[in-house]
Amino acid sequence: MKKLSWLRLVAASLAVAGALVSTQALAQVPGRFYWQNLEGGNGVPLIFNSLTGNSNPFDPSHQVTPGASFDATMAIMGYAHTFALGDRSAMAAVILPMGRISGDASLAGRTASQSASGFGDPTLEFTVNVIGPKVQRNIPDVIRYEPGFSLNLLADLALPIGEYNGNQALNIGQNRWYGRLGAPIVWQLGDWVPGRRTTLEFLPAVWLFGDNTDYLGGQRLKTDPLFQLDAHLTRDFTEHFWGALDFVWYNGGKATVNGVSGEKLNNIGGGLTLGYTINQNLNLTIGYKSTFNSSSPGELRMDGFMISLVYGWHPLIEGMKRLKSE
Amino acid sequence: MNKPSLTLIASLVAALFAVSPPVEAQQPKRPNIVVILGDDLGFADLGSYGSEIRTPNIDALAKAGVRFTNFYTSATSSPTRSMLLTGVDTHLNGLGNMDEWAAPNQWGIDGYEGYINDRVAMLPQLLKGAGYHTYMVGKWHLGKQPNRIPAARGFERDFTLLDGGGSYWDMTNVPAAAPKSVFTEDGKYLTRLPDDYYATKTYTDKLISFIDANKGDGKPFFAYVSHQAPHDPFHLPKDWRNRHVGEYDKGWDAVRQERLKKQVELGIMPAGTKLSERMWFVPDPIVLAPASRAILGKKMELYAGMVENLDHHVGRLVDHLKAIGEYENTIFVVFGDNGAEGTDLFKMVAGSPGSRDYLYAAAAWSQTHPNAWGDPGSYVGYGPMWAQVSMTPFSQFKGWMAEGGIRNALILSGPVVKRPAGSINHGVMHVADFMPTLLEVAGATYPKSIAGKELHPLIGKSWGPMLAGQVDSVRTDKDYLAWEIFGNRAVRQGDWKLRWQWQPYGKGDWELFNLKADPAERIDLAAKNPDKLRAMIALWDEYAKANNVVLPSRSMFETLVDALPMRVPDDSGYPPLLYKRQFVPPKDMVADPKP
Repeated sequence: MKKLSWLRLVAASLAVAGALVSTQALAQVPGRFYWQNLEGGNGVPLIFNSLTGNSNPFDPSHQVTPGASFDATMAIMGYAHTFALGDRSAMAAVILPMGRISGDASLAGRTASQSASGFGDPTLEFTVNVIGPKVQRNIPDVIRYEPGFSLNLLADLALPIGEYNGNQALNIGQNRWYGRLGAPIVWQLGDWVPGRRTTLEFLPAVWLFGDNTDYLGGQRLKTDPLFQLDAHLTRDFTEHFWGALDFVWYNGGKATVNGVSGEKLNNIGGGLTLGYTINQNLNLTIGYKSTFNSSSPGELRMDGFMISLVYGWHPLIEGMKRLKSE
Repeated sequence: MNKPSLTLIASLVAALFAVSPPVEAQQPKRPNIVVILGDDLGFADLGSYGSEIRTPNIDALAKAGVRFTNFYTSATSSPTRSMLLTGVDTHLNGLGNMDEWAAPNQWGIDGYEGYINDRVAMLPQLLKGAGYHTYMVGKWHLGKQPNRIPAARGFERDFTLLDGGGSYWDMTNVPAAAPKSVFTEDGKYLTRLPDDYYATKTYTDKLISFIDANKGDGKPFFAYVSHQAPHDPFHLPKDWRNRHVGEYDKGWDAVRQERLKKQVELGIMPAGTKLSERMWFVPDPIVLAPASRAILGKKMELYAGMVENLDHHVGRLVDHLKAIGEYENTIFVVFGDNGAEGTDLFKMVAGSPGSRDYLYAAAAWSQTHPNAWGDPGSYVGYGPMWAQVSMTPFSQFKGWMAEGGIRNALILSGPVVKRPAGSINHGVMHVADFMPTLLEVAGATYPKSIAGKELHPLIGKSWGPMLAGQVDSVRTDKDYLAWEIFGNRAVRQGDWKLRWQWQPYGKGDWELFNLKADPAERIDLAAKNPDKLRAMIALWDEYAKANNVVLPSRSMFETLVDALPMRVPDDSGYPPLLYKRQFVPPKDMVADPKP
């Protein structure tokens, strides 16, 4: 009989497990992060970002500091686990941002420099699929998976325990509770054949922020809800290599400091992402994104490069690999 | 072999011979003849033969006509087609071996040309001469030269794949040396295929257009609908691929058992029939991982889709004939050209890395992902395990002389059938019988010579008396059938079957079976019946001598004995180690360890 190749098929599919972790910065969530996987899968993402702009990339409210210029090197590590919730697939994850940021802000002819480093606010994430294929309980389910039109629900909650200094504007942690509610959508266009897959993906979400009562010397920072829409058109180039056109839109998020309100955001950005499956466990993603700007100093302005490595594994697949290597 | 009976279907022939143009309208119309061939379609693949595959249109023909359970073809494609269209034994008509596998000692010998030679008359040629329109669509596989193609051999209209297989979507062929399939339409070699081409659909569309083009001119037609389906690669439109998702994960043993049970209920097989051995190199599906069963089952899902799609297009043709008022006056014949395909043809051609064919396959046939199965560029066959399902309850499959290689389903319906509608006949029949039978239907005769060349004799018998209900079989216990292809050979006389096959499928020696008691050919009776064995071997010798049989010096199966695992018996449940389940102690004797 012909040698079975399903192990390869399944392992390649699982390699994206654990990539299901969002980032807080402009890089946002690369395409294909909400494809579903075999229950019981695990993933560890390691995401590097190099960002510049007039907003702190560790702050998901993207509060703009006019005239400022920040440089940030940010890494995000995490752990994700897929499981079944009834007959639906679900995922729980924890992520931890870390890194350093420095910047100059010019105000009234004076330039102030600040920097910060350390660990940011860890975030818990939970997603569950509500429309689309049922949970993949076994390998035949993996083999037969096609997203079709899939809708997930997503909830993030950040814990305010990251590095924070109330005397400076630039911080890694945010000193307040915040989170996100979203509905990731994966819409399969055409065949679901590696090398030919195309998807249109959306992540409409709203960020909700608690108050920071120790903002710049004890002031109260309030931020209105920020609506965010991520969109990705992804396409396989080969079985292991894909690319995406990325688009993001922010609206809302007006910040108020001690009753003095700023401007709400209404910005768009775009970018390109390339993904490559290095082996059965490891996925590489490289991307660049930038906001599309006018010359207005109050407008959000950011751009950045991102490299992510996601290591995914499943006990069943690892066991089969051990047997195969005997 | 005995000479064919020339008994005529009295009522029809009397009318046919009396026909003359001025009074034609007042005479019974001669029936149209539609021969529908399924390529590699198995004995047990139709609903009316016990299959779970849904074939309502072909089953409707079975319900209106007769099903046959002892119908024989050759063990492979082109030899069967040659006998269907000539009525002459393969070793005389040019297909003594398949063109692709002719052995060195057969090269240049009459009867082994690899195409139908000039010492036979062709059925379409004779029917055309008798006033029939003659149409062909589908696979030919009987020669590509201009004087060998359908238009040169009696077909008035044709849309033909001259090769033995290839893509259903385009002109892509499998061998690197001949990468483009060759098609003809009305005798012209095609430079490209029609837009929206899909083999089974296009063949049906073309045939309907041929029929309509001459509709109403008063002449009957003979249509040879030689479908490529369900031969691998299993190419089929997307909406036909997922109609049996997960249905075959239960494995081939379970499906074989279900089909046999249904066959017994239908009366196709007698009560007490046992399944043939599971091929010794095919695992018990129970011991396979779910993923293995899912992947292997998906191949059978696609095959089922192929058969259902074929049935759909047969239905289109039948519906069209009903719409134009020709259905009632049409004889339908449906059968498969040989046993189901259990050999991995793709691997045989392109399976060696570093070879020319492998490189070509990498470019043209490498859509291997299960979700791409069915697409252009994919090549999926279903393997020996599912081929055995298709041939339930028989042993082995295409290419071999076990019943699974040569016995096939046959359905015949239409005005010549006077037997009860939906009945089943167990008489021994042969594909070469079509020539005398259909000539009778058409009121034509088989000539002794053509263009000054004496023709080989017909080997078949007309089914006229059987179809008229006068006899149950046109063969007596003295009549016999015989076969040879690739060196494998067999003889059937009455309930007895003599068989020689290459090892390890056979013993490399004669085996003897009683098909009535053992249709699955499990018990070799050669040692216990030396007299019968000698008598059957004598029949073989007679057949071989009379029909110019030259046993091949090389065979596609010559190295199998080294390539396959050692043959072992098929003992259900062995070894027990693989089947013993987790021991569960009595609940009242269960305890935690003491401290």
